Amino acid sequence: MAKSEDCVHILQGLLVFGNVVIGMCGIALTAECIYVVSNPNGLYPLLKATENDINAAAWIGIFVGLALFALSILGIIGVIKASRTLLMVYIILMLITFAFEMASCITAATHQDSVTPELFLKQMLERYQKSDPANNNDNEFTKTWDELMLQNHCCGVLGPSDWQKYTSVFRLTHNDADYPWPRKCCVLDAHGLPVNLDGCKLGVSGYYNSNGCYDAISGPVNTHAWGVAWFGFAILCWTFCVLLGTMFYWSGIEY
Amino acid sequence: LRGCSAGSAPSASSLWLLTADQLGYTPTLTQTPSLEAVTTASTFVLEQPRCVFDSYGNADIWLVVALAKATSTFNNTARPGTPETAYQLFPGSVSAYMTLNATLANYPCPKPAGEITVLRVGSETSCAGDEARPTCNGPLPNPGPYRVKFLALQGSEPVAETVWSESITLRTAEPPSSISTTGKGHSAGMIAITTILSILFAILLAGLVAML
Repeated sequence: MAKSEDCVHILQGLLVFGNVVIGMCGIALTAECIYVVSNPNGLYPLLKATENDINAAAWIGIFVGLALFALSILGIIGVIKASRTLLMVYIILMLITFAFEMASCITAATHQDSVTPELFLKQMLERYQKSDPANNNDNEFTKTWDELMLQNHCCGVLGPSDWQKYTSVFRLTHNDADYPWPRKCCVLDAHGLPVNLDGCKLGVSGYYNSNGCYDAISGPVNTHAWGVAWFGFAILCWTFCVLLGTMFYWSGIEY
Repeated sequence: LRGCSAGSAPSASSLWLLTADQLGYTPTLTQTPSLEAVTTASTFVLEQPRCVFDSYGNADIWLVVALAKATSTFNNTARPGTPETAYQLFPGSVSAYMTLNATLANYPCPKPAGEITVLRVGSETSCAGDEARPTCNGPLPNPGPYRVKFLALQGSEPVAETVWSESITLRTAEPPSSISTTGKGHSAGMIAITTILSILFAILLAGLVAML
């Protein structure tokens, strides 16, 4: 019957279109996750100790993206040839990919929740300038913090008073009278020396950085987590529709 | 009757030699400009006593730092640079020490506008353990509270003093273990993602079972 034939053709066209979009989104997801993994802001050492690792979600995202691209090609071939076996394989593999991407999205969203000022504050106090020559991680941590404070003209997580409100590993090796806060919190000249050391120690505005670094940290981190979580969610919603359509199409194919 | 407090009745004619002039000035922490480190764990910042000791051009102006509860026992006849007022013995065997020696030339009157003139108590760390420097302006050992006053000595005699300051308490630092990182719970976005994706996945599985 012509009408039924038309319906089938329309469904086939929609499914092919759906798979093309999935393929392209898969590539985009892979690209985005590679960007996140490549540590563009140099903040990864700060995040390594957090429990929900955004990097795990991003690594899963890379492989899911490639799988989506491959499966979309399989899907297009299966729909055009109206092959029951191909489409069954397609549906099952897509469901597995769906499950993995679900895990990635949920991990990224949970990670975003765990990014709080207290987390970074505690880590900074316990690890900044922890002078243990054997432990390379702490040196990397200190260097990351120094770079962060230098480039963003900030001090501490919430402000220089972090160093006064709490004891720290830094305080063990630098006495309070000479170093109310680290030297990197001072406004530095071209040679890397404080413009006015006494002004910095007193906390005269203009000679020290009075802002906290939390905004500079949480901005990029939240953007990355948001990107991985919500783009993945959008892809999965689209994939859901395409899969439902494919199941319906499959059940309509005659042997 | 060579007393040290101004409480004695003014009966002797040589009274003006026995007691120092009480100036109405009260030492205070620096208010302007506002400094982030006006008090730290071991230092604090005072206003300089400008235009206060103008009549005492030949005197040495000392800062007396005392434990807040020991201000009544401080004797103006105490000499700086002796074990009775040594920084290194504070607060163990002495309850007040004298430091930051200056003359009127260090505190010119009036204060030029735009300059930041402060006295940072506790800034000298190099002499903190050196018993040969009893007038060291070393860091304060505990959060206090402390009270300070300025004392002008001519020769060895006290000629003028200010009122004791208000009680100054320094900052106490807490350990980082007191920071709670339990987090603010799950956000609405995360719950939405989890719920919706779980439902979608369940529907797909049901569809797969129906197909088979």
